[in-house]
Amino acid sequence: MAILIVPSALRRYSNQQTRITLVANTVQELLERFTHESSELRNYIFSGSTLRKFVIVSKNGQDIRLLDGLLTSLGVNDEVHVVAGVAGG
Amino acid sequence: MTAASNPAMSAVLTDSELRRFGRHLILPEFGLAAQQRLKAGSVLLIGLGGLGSPSSLYLAAAGVGRIGLVDADVVEETNLQRQIVHGYATLGHLKTESAAARMLDINPDLQIERHDVRLNLENALDLMAQYDVIVDGTDNFPTRYLVNDACVKLGKPNVYGGVLRFDGQLSVFDARHGPCYRCLFPEPPPIEFAPNCAEAGVLGVVPGVIGSLQATEVIKLLTGVGSPMIGRMLIYDGLDLSFTTIQIAKAADCPVCSHPPADIELKETAMACSAPVGRSMSSSVLQSRQQAGDDLMVVDVRNPAEWLSGTIFGSIGLPMPDITRALRQAGPPPLPKDRDLVLVCQSGMRSSAVIRSLVDAGYDSGRLYNLERGMAAWTSDVYPPGAKNLHRERVSN
Repeated sequence: MAILIVPSALRRYSNQQTRITLVANTVQELLERFTHESSELRNYIFSGSTLRKFVIVSKNGQDIRLLDGLLTSLGVNDEVHVVAGVAGG
Repeated sequence: MTAASNPAMSAVLTDSELRRFGRHLILPEFGLAAQQRLKAGSVLLIGLGGLGSPSSLYLAAAGVGRIGLVDADVVEETNLQRQIVHGYATLGHLKTESAAARMLDINPDLQIERHDVRLNLENALDLMAQYDVIVDGTDNFPTRYLVNDACVKLGKPNVYGGVLRFDGQLSVFDARHGPCYRCLFPEPPPIEFAPNCAEAGVLGVVPGVIGSLQATEVIKLLTGVGSPMIGRMLIYDGLDLSFTTIQIAKAADCPVCSHPPADIELKETAMACSAPVGRSMSSSVLQSRQQAGDDLMVVDVRNPAEWLSGTIFGSIGLPMPDITRALRQAGPPPLPKDRDLVLVCQSGMRSSAVIRSLVDAGYDSGRLYNLERGMAAWTSDVYPPGAKNLHRERVSN
């Protein structure tokens, strides 16, 4: 079980929940579970099987590229953030 | 080189400045030396919108010696919900002029250099080379990538802020000591995933929070006080009221900062899907053709909430998601195929993406027109500001 922190732009896919708990052993599993009901959401986060180049994902405050990427393991109460670039100013 | 990295760079404070900055001078970690370095320092603010408003005010008030202002826009009424450096008194004035007047009122000793231009490939390096620190307060991805790439080439710190809806981001990108913007986000999102504040909205105070933090980072860089946010990104969630810091790292394969600065060539960063499909039409041509009674169908693909700020006479409203859904479901076509269609959104980006979807679905690209610069151009070039025309029907599936 890990916790996904959902940015406000994506909360329409989480019933407006900020934090959702999902059963997952890796970041990839977590994101697959989060996106499996919406092809639109999946297309936003993934390009094929890799993360989009305007999306970063962190586990407990560390960019997963500093860890094991999508294969980064998750334990109970680990927190995963999905962050997309925003251009507004 | 920042003032902080060169102790020789400091400036003498006048009696007036010694009085005005008294609250800084009594901070043990700051004091006279930091205040003198601020006065010797220089900053280029790119964009005087939601982010540039608080940062310009605070940096002027803090005592930075020289501030450059880059913006080619004029102050509009819709800016005032968040762009607090401007006001009704300066509606229609250049933003650089409006901001400069307010900043000089706060700090008459400030040296302001106005650059009433849009940052582009030709002027970026020359402009940015003149300043110690660059502040990215822009409102679109191509300019953000240009700011980043020029900063990497010039070896300048880029104080980055970005906002949308209720969220904000902050970091200091300095490729000499940490990652650059492209290490995090090598490419911009496709148009359909990249709404700006005019399209998706922004709570006015959110850029106030992030712009103020950008000013804090600039002060730290110029004075050497504290630890700048290099190698970290702050994520602000205004709805949840949370601040989260993420550790970020330089990408070994970064398309820009993994190369020697001398080898970096500035290039335009196109948004995916931005290659034009179909035809385009200017606001003035649309107006002329409507007045001539041409058979045109004007389709407003913005969200219904955006229609409240005004629409084009005779247009129909059909939001982009409705069109996309209808095309995907392979039911009846959402729009006629035997008429000239003029697609309209706020800036011309979403309508361009809709045209691409329509062409992919078999529509004749020769009969599809994108209104150039969208409602932004229509309201500034054709329709008087503040006027509305809500006379039209909504078509929905």
